[in-house]
Amino acid sequence: MTSRPPATPDAPAAAAGPAPTRRRPRYRPGGTVLTPYLFLLPNMLIFGLFTIWPAINGFNISLYASTTGRSFEWAGLDNYRAIGADDRFWSALTNTLVYVAGFVALSVVCAVLLAVALNAQLRGRSFFRAVFFLPVLLSPVVVGLMWRWMLERRGGLVNAGLQAIGGPEMPWLVDGRLAMLSIIAVGLWTNVGFYTMIALAGLQSIDGSLYEAASVDGASRSQQFWGITLPLLMPTVMVVLILATINGFQAFDYIYNLTGGGPVGGTTLMVQFIYDNAFGPRREYGMAAAASVVLFLVVLSFTLVNWFIGRRREAT
Amino acid sequence: MTRRLSTRTRLLALAPPLALVLASCAPGGTDSSGDPVEDDDGGTAGEATASVQELTREDVEGGSLNYLYFTDGPDQASTEELISAFEEEYGVTVNLEIVPFSDLETTLQTRLSGGQAPDVARITATAPFEGDLLDLTPYVGADYPETFIEGLRAPMQQGDQLVAVPSDLTMNGPFVNVEQFQEAGVDLPDPEDPWTWEEMMEAAASVQEAVGTEFAFALDKSGHRLSTVLSQNGTYLVDAETGVLDPDLATEALQALTSMIEDGSSPRDFWLDSGTRYAGANEVFLAQQVPVYLSGNWQVAQFEANAPFEWAAAPNPCMTECGGFPGGKFMAGFADTDEPELTALFLWWMNDTEQQRQFVDASNFLPTRADLVEDGVEYASRSEDMNVFLEDIPRTPEAAYASAYSPEFGAAATEFVEFYAQVVAGQLELPEAMEDLSSTLGD
Repeated sequence: MTSRPPATPDAPAAAAGPAPTRRRPRYRPGGTVLTPYLFLLPNMLIFGLFTIWPAINGFNISLYASTTGRSFEWAGLDNYRAIGADDRFWSALTNTLVYVAGFVALSVVCAVLLAVALNAQLRGRSFFRAVFFLPVLLSPVVVGLMWRWMLERRGGLVNAGLQAIGGPEMPWLVDGRLAMLSIIAVGLWTNVGFYTMIALAGLQSIDGSLYEAASVDGASRSQQFWGITLPLLMPTVMVVLILATINGFQAFDYIYNLTGGGPVGGTTLMVQFIYDNAFGPRREYGMAAAASVVLFLVVLSFTLVNWFIGRRREAT
Repeated sequence: MTRRLSTRTRLLALAPPLALVLASCAPGGTDSSGDPVEDDDGGTAGEATASVQELTREDVEGGSLNYLYFTDGPDQASTEELISAFEEEYGVTVNLEIVPFSDLETTLQTRLSGGQAPDVARITATAPFEGDLLDLTPYVGADYPETFIEGLRAPMQQGDQLVAVPSDLTMNGPFVNVEQFQEAGVDLPDPEDPWTWEEMMEAAASVQEAVGTEFAFALDKSGHRLSTVLSQNGTYLVDAETGVLDPDLATEALQALTSMIEDGSSPRDFWLDSGTRYAGANEVFLAQQVPVYLSGNWQVAQFEANAPFEWAAAPNPCMTECGGFPGGKFMAGFADTDEPELTALFLWWMNDTEQQRQFVDASNFLPTRADLVEDGVEYASRSEDMNVFLEDIPRTPEAAYASAYSPEFGAAATEFVEFYAQVVAGQLELPEAMEDLSSTLGD
């Protein structure tokens, strides 16, 4: 008779010695192997149905030409060639990279600085934490419309304030560079509260005795920040960096309501390019799907680079 | 004895379900050839031939329809009233499903994909539903299109099939601030004798100077509205099938507007700060910051409700041509309907003379029927202004209808706005932009 192979790595040790007080698990053969997967199955099914399946289908559609979303003609790589030859695609990709660079850099720096400030023993600390988090709760449509009214050249609150102190009337949404700055600033305002909360959680996990020891050794606040806070916060910073990068590449809703991608495509990012192709009058579903695949690959590569850098930093 | 499966065996075992998954994610699967769609009985929907004019309550009683609808506002109440009257007259049920305009086409395409198409829908173009629409010819007769004005007859048909009924017409045209014209001592235009572009510009500039408005002239940021200007100089973005823009005529047509935007007498910012989105200049007109505003008859109801000053519709200005640029909606049935006779009856009844008169009157729309256009409509409110638009219908060239109802128009209009926005931003000269646009549309 062949003995049954051990079900788990611990099993030989348990079987070798007497274990009168432990009841033998009443699993059927193989049950210990399958059980964890059964627990994972519901989530895997949902994830597969709503994430993996649409992703595969999106890639599939990128190989077809369709203007109705129902009748499709095989197009091979034509959609990829078409977006490659489309100036609007390259403009959207460039705009997206500019936006992501500005948004991510400012998000990380501001989140860390704000978290440090909000971690200090301030009067009204809870109030300020709530104030900075509040924009995260707003609908992107509301954010877009609200800032549109604030940034209008004539009658906008920002220009009214500027003019009240003798400043110029700025074309925030009409000049290409200023419009890009505006969407970065509004994106930062909307999201920085969320990243600050993550950074704050990271700060609070740092052992306070390190600061006490550093104080005893005569380290200044600045030295404590650079020597203790920042190095120990780096894993959290990497999380913020990855989340902000993904968020930046996916930016669309509030920008669409703020500038509509204008002026003259100056703030049209990749997601709007995809949206305009699929749901605008062009109805080029295949091209939109091809652009989605490209965006996916760009986000994936940036995320992997961030992740590998983070792991190497952790390892060292 | 437990036998471990090799990796290759596992992969082979997974292959059939994986193949099934991949095969089922191949897009398509619906017949878009335009062939007749078989009904539940195995026949084609077009086989029934009862003329709707002959149908009685007994023929259709107990039937029901789903009507997918989007509303422009005031038309909803009159549609509901007409539906109630239809239900009472024929003993049937019509379920009105209202969706936002922006979701209309996606909703319809999705429902068609899932075999859940409504029986009837209000649509702006028939081209996206080619092969899906009910051929009305057996029910209303091949001569039925002649009921409607000439420009709308072609878009009612796909090949030799009659697939849609035009339910209302819109016409682009200008509005003037009467109080400002009077204050400036400038004569109002005569609806019987349209002004020229030069006369309109002169009048607008004189009023601006006398009254001190911020702008002289405004036009919505829209490829459709810009097409009015093209049409008045005898050129179009597209005809029924392809790009036909004459860049020289287009440059000549748009020169006056471009100069006004450049010198600040027409608003510039909203061409730039709304990106790819439509933007209307109605707020500028309502704020009395522009005496002449080119939009369309759909503004009448909201100006009536919101304008705190005296205003009037004005005839479209003429260049080499006169008239406005048309738009509008159609009612269409879907070939998959279980009630083709009732569907055809509903489309016919809703657009019969009395029903259409009631609908356009309540909604401040323009009629599509030739008899109503010829006889005129006495609107309950702002009838004089609505009839200014009505009088522009026969002045509008036939080519404008062909362009407006071309399946290519939507995408062409988007390109037009994008190129013109580059002119407004100073990135392109107008002639260069029109040349580029012409090349793009010709591709």
